[in-house]
Amino acid sequence: MIVLVGLSHRTSPLPVRESLAFAKERLVEALQRMRQEAGVSEAMILSTCNRVELYGRSDESEGGGSRLEEFLCAFHGRPRPEIAPYLYRLSGSDAVRHAFRVAASLESMVIGEPQILGQVKEAYQTAEQAGTLGSALNALRNRSLAAAKRARTETGIGQNAVSVSYVAVELARKIFGELRDKNVLLVGAGKMSELAARHLVRSGARAMVLGGRTFEKAEELAAALGGRAAPFESLRSELAAADIVISGTGAPGIVIHREDVEHARAARGGRYQRPLFLIDIAVPRDIDPAARKISGIFLYDLDDLRSVAEANLRERQKEAAAAESLVDREVREFLEWQKSLDVVPILIELRRRADEIRRIEVERARRRLGPLTPEQEAALDAATSAIVNKLLHPPTILIKEMARNGYGAEQVALLRKLLGL
Amino acid sequence: MSSHVYLLFSLAFYAVGALHVLLQALTRRQLLTSWTVTATLIGFALHTASLAQRWTEAGHFPAVGLHDVSSFLAWALVLVFLMTYTRTRVEALGLVVYPVAFALVLVANMTPAAESDDPILQSYFLPIHATLAFLGYAALFVAFAMGLLYLVQERELKSRSPRRLYYILPSLERCDTIGGRSVEVGFAFLTLAIVTGMLWSYRARGVYWTGDAKEWTALIAWVLYVVLVLARHRTGWGGRRAALLGIAGFAAVVLTFVWVTAAGVASAAR
Repeated sequence: MIVLVGLSHRTSPLPVRESLAFAKERLVEALQRMRQEAGVSEAMILSTCNRVELYGRSDESEGGGSRLEEFLCAFHGRPRPEIAPYLYRLSGSDAVRHAFRVAASLESMVIGEPQILGQVKEAYQTAEQAGTLGSALNALRNRSLAAAKRARTETGIGQNAVSVSYVAVELARKIFGELRDKNVLLVGAGKMSELAARHLVRSGARAMVLGGRTFEKAEELAAALGGRAAPFESLRSELAAADIVISGTGAPGIVIHREDVEHARAARGGRYQRPLFLIDIAVPRDIDPAARKISGIFLYDLDDLRSVAEANLRERQKEAAAAESLVDREVREFLEWQKSLDVVPILIELRRRADEIRRIEVERARRRLGPLTPEQEAALDAATSAIVNKLLHPPTILIKEMARNGYGAEQVALLRKLLGL
Repeated sequence: MSSHVYLLFSLAFYAVGALHVLLQALTRRQLLTSWTVTATLIGFALHTASLAQRWTEAGHFPAVGLHDVSSFLAWALVLVFLMTYTRTRVEALGLVVYPVAFALVLVANMTPAAESDDPILQSYFLPIHATLAFLGYAALFVAFAMGLLYLVQERELKSRSPRRLYYILPSLERCDTIGGRSVEVGFAFLTLAIVTGMLWSYRARGVYWTGDAKEWTALIAWVLYVVLVLARHRTGWGGRRAALLGIAGFAAVVLTFVWVTAAGVASAAR
């Protein structure tokens, strides 16, 4: 049975999560100690900034979770009563469901965020390296990661950017469609404008960097983006040629005035009314907000980008319902599959069948032998029972071993066939 | 089955398409599913059967009277939509096309078919001329629809806090490109329709121009679209202005048609 103890951004404040997080360097050690001390035969630890979760496979039907909890507190040297209120303890199908939901980022702070899938993958890999991954957790790994990928591709939870630089790229796509051969003008060579420009260039746009006081920086950035650099004085002519402008200077006041934008629009507008997309990511702002009144000009400042990101998030939450039902289906399938693999019923059935045959044969023998003394009767019972037990001993051991070490569906099928069940 | 029965069935299938596309727009990102497209194709096949049947029943090409005109116009619209969709995969167009196609077929279902044994309708010019004209108007309608989508998407982008439509409408540039292509195609068909119409009129009546409603509508629309096509080509005009003119052009077509028809009816009454 899979057991799980953990805490997340939903159940605990950051300081508590920090105090219980596992450092990368100590993970292997922690996994091995967990297996020795917490009474689990398999172990996996997922430790990110938003959650710390210990997954284990416990062969006890009860109480596996409480030993995990003990281990978590002991490992970090924290008193258990202090930590307990922040923890959730799940086992069996609830633990499986939780593992699936985490991987599909349905439990994430930002639903649909892509990092968690990688973090979960890494957690399983570390457990594999530490040698604490067995058949149960491995099956959970395969199925939950596959379900997460399906949720991502078949529903919209991963769609629509929620980070500011991606929002800028998406907006550009909504205006221009194709970004190939579009001209991106960077005013100022900041980190954030570089990030947004990189996404655009990767989609086929051409970059142009306008330098301020430090022209070398502009040249450096232009080289990194595969574009050209120009001095700030050529702003107006560059503005006329640009489709997308990303402005992020550290200047204290307006850098691109309404007149500059109007001039640019007139220079291009006479012939072709191409839209102009202005992105102002500077604080204080670089571009005169009055420019947004001009037709064909789309001006977004940092707050606007954030509000789009929020709208995108709301869209994602709608899509989350579809992802939820997809993950639910996958969990159900997984649990059914798990059940089909259970060998304990085979053991019980085998015993029952053997005993039934024994009793029928004893009864038949008795009828043929006529009345027996109590001693004779006891001897007959003992002899037949011994035969059954001795015959069933090797398969029983084998099945118990399989239950511990894992097996495949074909093995179970073969077993059933062999035993005539 | 009679043409009416076919038409009724095709109305049902278009209704499925229209409802489905609107529901999808409210809930999901993908507007057209294989269900919608299948329903449309079946509806279109039945619609084609209805027109063919009507052709035999009437004894002339089915382009006479309100019943024929709305039915045929809807048929051309669905055809042009399906062709645009196959080429560009622009699903949001369905939001405008489905309700309109449904409404037109509904009108056709509710109006009686006009009977006429005017020998002029036996001319082989009628099928050619009418088909060209209807396909032209359908393409111009698509341009009108893309212009609408352009304006809505532009408003969404300007508002800086996008709502549902922002996510399901295509980009500005796509609206502009598809709208521009539709105007060109529609304009070409319209020109050919006018030429064949004049030839037909000359053959039948000995004059190129009789001055009836259809002729005035076509001429005014043609002049408007000459301006639009030239503006796009010669000055590289696009974007908002082209969208507005595409909308205005089609609105003018509809208004002229209604006005001239009404005037024609009035003068006939006198």
